[in-house]
Amino acid sequence: MVEAHGIRHTRRAASQTSAIQETLCSVASSRSTPEPGAPFEVTEDANGNPRYIYKDIDPVYDSDDSDAPNPGNTIGDIPLSFYDSYPHIGYDINGRKIMRPAKGAALDALLDSIEVPKGWTGLTDPATGKPLQLTEEELDVLKRLTRNEAPEDGYDPYPDMVEYFSGKLEQMPLSAAPEPKRRFIPSKHEAKRVMKIVKAIREGRIQPYRPPEDIEDEDFDVKRYDIWHDETPRADHVMNIPAPKLPPPGYEESYHPPPEYIPDEAELKAWLEQDEEDRERDFLPRDHGALRKTPGYERFVKDRFERSLDLYLAPRVRRSKLNIDPESLLPKLPSPEELRPFPSHVDAILRGHQGRVRSLAFHPRGEYIASGGDDGTVRVWYTPSGYQLWQARISDQDPVSAVQWRPGTDALVLSCAAGENVFLIAPKLPIFSPFSTLDDQVDPITASRDLLNAGWQARSSSPTPNASNGLTGATTKEATATWARPPLKLQAQGVLIQLTLKTAVKVISWHRRGDYFATVSPAGQSNSVAIHTLSKHMTQLPFRRLKGLAQSCQFHPTRPIFFVATQRMIRSYDLSRQELLKTLQPGARWISSFDVHPGGDNLIVGSYDKRLLWMDLDLSTRPYKTLRYHPRAIRAVRFHHGGYPLFADASDDGSLQIFHGKVVGDLMENASIVPLKVLRGHKVEGGLGVLDVDWHPQEPWCASAGADGTVRVWIP
Amino acid sequence: MPKHYRPAGKKKEGNAAKYITRSQAVKHLQVNLPVFRKLSILKGIFPREPKKKVKGNHHTYYHVKDIAFLQHERLLEIFRDIRAYEKKIKKAESKKNPDLADRLRTRAPSYKLDRIICERYPKFVDALRDLDDCLTMVHLFAALPALEKEKIAVKRIHNCRRLSHEWQAFISRTHKLRKVFISVKGIYYQAEVEGQKITWLTPHALQQVFPGDDVDFNVMLTFVEVYETLLAFINYHLYHSIDVKYPPILDPRLEALASDLYALSRYFDANAKQSVVNPEASSLSGSEQVETQQNGIPPDESELRLAQLQHQLPSNEPGALMRLVEDVADEDQEDEDTKACKKLFKNMKFFLSREAPRESLLFIIPAFGGIVSWEGEGAPYKEADQSITHQIVDRPTQGHIFLSREYVQPQWVYDCVNARIILPTEDYMVGRVPPPHLSPFVDNEAEGYIPEYAETIKRLQAHARNEVLPLPGEGTEDLEDPHKLLVEGIIDRAEANEAAERRRKMRIEQKQYLNELKLEVDGVQYPSTASDNKQSSSKETQARESEPDLQQIVQDHANRSMVVMSCRNRELVEAMQIGKKRDLDGVEHLKKRKRKLEEAQKSGNN
Repeated sequence: MVEAHGIRHTRRAASQTSAIQETLCSVASSRSTPEPGAPFEVTEDANGNPRYIYKDIDPVYDSDDSDAPNPGNTIGDIPLSFYDSYPHIGYDINGRKIMRPAKGAALDALLDSIEVPKGWTGLTDPATGKPLQLTEEELDVLKRLTRNEAPEDGYDPYPDMVEYFSGKLEQMPLSAAPEPKRRFIPSKHEAKRVMKIVKAIREGRIQPYRPPEDIEDEDFDVKRYDIWHDETPRADHVMNIPAPKLPPPGYEESYHPPPEYIPDEAELKAWLEQDEEDRERDFLPRDHGALRKTPGYERFVKDRFERSLDLYLAPRVRRSKLNIDPESLLPKLPSPEELRPFPSHVDAILRGHQGRVRSLAFHPRGEYIASGGDDGTVRVWYTPSGYQLWQARISDQDPVSAVQWRPGTDALVLSCAAGENVFLIAPKLPIFSPFSTLDDQVDPITASRDLLNAGWQARSSSPTPNASNGLTGATTKEATATWARPPLKLQAQGVLIQLTLKTAVKVISWHRRGDYFATVSPAGQSNSVAIHTLSKHMTQLPFRRLKGLAQSCQFHPTRPIFFVATQRMIRSYDLSRQELLKTLQPGARWISSFDVHPGGDNLIVGSYDKRLLWMDLDLSTRPYKTLRYHPRAIRAVRFHHGGYPLFADASDDGSLQIFHGKVVGDLMENASIVPLKVLRGHKVEGGLGVLDVDWHPQEPWCASAGADGTVRVWIP
Repeated sequence: MPKHYRPAGKKKEGNAAKYITRSQAVKHLQVNLPVFRKLSILKGIFPREPKKKVKGNHHTYYHVKDIAFLQHERLLEIFRDIRAYEKKIKKAESKKNPDLADRLRTRAPSYKLDRIICERYPKFVDALRDLDDCLTMVHLFAALPALEKEKIAVKRIHNCRRLSHEWQAFISRTHKLRKVFISVKGIYYQAEVEGQKITWLTPHALQQVFPGDDVDFNVMLTFVEVYETLLAFINYHLYHSIDVKYPPILDPRLEALASDLYALSRYFDANAKQSVVNPEASSLSGSEQVETQQNGIPPDESELRLAQLQHQLPSNEPGALMRLVEDVADEDQEDEDTKACKKLFKNMKFFLSREAPRESLLFIIPAFGGIVSWEGEGAPYKEADQSITHQIVDRPTQGHIFLSREYVQPQWVYDCVNARIILPTEDYMVGRVPPPHLSPFVDNEAEGYIPEYAETIKRLQAHARNEVLPLPGEGTEDLEDPHKLLVEGIIDRAEANEAAERRRKMRIEQKQYLNELKLEVDGVQYPSTASDNKQSSSKETQARESEPDLQQIVQDHANRSMVVMSCRNRELVEAMQIGKKRDLDGVEHLKKRKRKLEEAQKSGNN
């Protein structure tokens, strides 16, 4: 088989070379006329073109063709069985079919079996499809190969050695060089190296090899002396921090813990689902019942390893454990009992408003409470009894956002804001106690009406309003506000003046004398703050431009100073000199309201970001104290203006906090703030709780307006 | 110019000068990380937390002086030598010269950690204080199989075994064991030596589980190296403090039977006898002489005779063990606790069944004055011994029963030790589920929750102290009477405090409410002037409606000071309150579970 392969390869190679030769020759011949002796002859074909007819190459020994026996089958290395269904078995080099050799008939086969030809093997040559014939020599080679012998005949694997170089002195030596001198003298370098070693041994640097037995008889690990035999008492080194001990095991770690320490199904599942790092315990409390049933702890090695890592990898810090009693952190506050009186519980609940009550105000005499709400009505209540005395629907669509009495006990003038309108009212109220400052003959209601109506005459006498009165050179325009008579229906109820501004008014604040009042309408850019003169029916815009959204404003209780709160800042202006005095920065995100202490040097500020800030104007422009305790926004803050050191705030969480806030005359001492009482009662509706709070002008009572439609009066 | 520019030549100051990062340290010491790790474990150097981390938060910082300390360490040089020497061996091996390699191996440079131990623990107490991890690790390695892959040598394991037994023998001998606890992780022991409480954990005597690649055994082995040396020195010191020779020489027969602990106790016994029998011999060493002089009590004649007798006895006599228990060096120097511990199992003779945890019980029972034997060869007495009082059995049923003795589960021993009284054995009998095993390490008062069985034990202890017999049929019902319990010392201070607090709060609330009521009653009566308005105030309903929520008022009152507190303090207080609440929640959770269980039990009974 091996032979057959080799033959096939060479044959293919030969056929390829001959093909190349042919093409080369054709190229050559196209260039020139055939030379004599060229391997082709030129004839003419049917079209008259030259036609080359090549002679068959005679594969003589010298020829380029190898000694391939004959052009074989060109089908390549595929089984002959593929051609079983064809009459041919492949193609020769010229593409001619090689026909399947005729198979002998049965008689021939019989003859063959009787007379085996020489070299018959019974095999078929796969390349030719003919019976494979092997010569005697070839068979012999195959036989040797199967016996693992050298295939060559007569090969001797163990020939006798020919001794070319031997100890035998030859008569004629191969080399005649004389013996060198070094063969006769000892080596100097060897001597040097030996002496080196000898010296080292003498000096003891090299120890002669000692068998290891005598070292091993002593156990290396056993200690035979005491390292602490002469220990002296000494303090621990400062830098040494002993490793913290592991926490001792608890009940749940027991192999048989009390049943209440074993987690139930849900907890077990939660534990299994948790990440290994997140688990509170690294083991699962289980009841094994008996010691023999307790399995080995599989994390033991890992635990020890982790502890080892902690010991050498974790930074150690000496931390003093915080062991303070939380009580000691609480500031010592005087008992609320010592600071009585202050409102502590509800005296009356004033019901009547539909929807939220937005604003309320005590009359300076304290007898009446005015309130305004989402239903567009203004109501006046009698403080001691809580009965409603008067009401008027001043607006059908806009809620009453601010209600304020005119200061001064001589008249009963109520101002209220609904939408863009500000109404000035002299309500017809029953008079329960004589107004001491007035003559007995003059009815306070008539006085109020006169007060309000006086302006009409003033305006008619000077038809062009004087514009020189503005704070910062602001002009009074007819268009900014119109003073007019309200509809007749309202006039009948005592509403005498309707003042219409450009944008909705949220805050009304009166000057202590009762002639001026300021309004704030946050939406109206430069018109947001307006100061109105009641006696002249005149409106002024003190600020041409205001930084930020105006939120609230107040007159100083004693001096000609005007405070304006924007979202973040509170600015105070001197009214007489028309200049900015101070810019206060309470640090709140959004101021909701503020109030000036009756002394005039302190402010409380409430903000929508839940803070109550106490500002001391003498101290700093920053808050002296920030109190954060309400869970919701603070809507209103108010000082008691009648002599009690009290203030209150109203929050969206439905509670009011009453504080004791004492301002000492001495400049060296700071104000003391003591929380006294949380007043709860208002319900939270639509995210709003208490919307406004006001103090009784004389008594330690306060009233609050709630989003639940009630006004509550709180007394000690 | 960068923000923290330092001019060239100006020295670093502050944290930048005091602390260096680990990679800086490794570079500075010119070693590789494994060597640095090994050095820092051996020397006990640990990272620190500087106030200001100059190089950033994700670095590990070492103190500069700690690194200097490492730099001056001779071990550093030795490690370098070892590294060089290993190269020699490797070279010989790769040159196919096994003879040279073997010869080189026999002389490889080695190091001792003696000086390092001395340096790290200048006082003996320091060493004791740091012993917890050491003991746990040595006990773990004593239980590990030798592993070629992880370089855990057989010799190391034998050494750990020997050291742990020596330690146990000393503790047992001097009755210094205080608490034991079988946990799911293993068995915890706590001993008190020289005023130091030493707690260690031994694994259950079962095959240890090797966690795959999570554990780097090189780190553990380095630790074990230190711990072995440390424990060996501690054992030496302790043995010499009670006048026993160290290292102990053990009876090879017992050692072969793997009852080293018993062999050790026998060794103690023999050693002690020698010092009693021939004081002349012991007077050779100065310190021992002082010791005997301090004792000052010449052994009386009968004692001496007994000792002589027992010295001649064959090594495996029960008498020897009896002697062991009684014979203790300095009776006077012992504190109350030790005396109590010594007497706990006095006059009791134990026998351990095959399945009981032998190693642990052989350690504990003699530590509390009991005599113990076990099933197997080398045991001092056999199961048939009539004088045995207790047999420790841990099997569902017991076949042959000797009427003269009690059959109890192993937990009984542990519970007795923790309670320091002999508990009644009914609950611990064979085949029963024993009462819950409680950890002696828990401070019930701090925890706020006391399991039922802890209370039972407390009552039993009280009875044992007062010598009052327990009333028959006394159950948990009388726990309800707090006064009585307080007298008995059963409910503790915390609970009493809690009750007092509750009463105080109630008083405040009551007072406040009364105050308010009073104010409301004698408040100003306003004239109720008639008005033409229909809508009137709802004054009549207000009293009911505005009736304040008492709890809310109390809370507001408490919050009063929180309102004016500074933000920092308020957060602190809130954090504390959260912590307290978490504890309380835990207790509540337990109580709830307990109630549920009881209800389930009740419904199951019905």
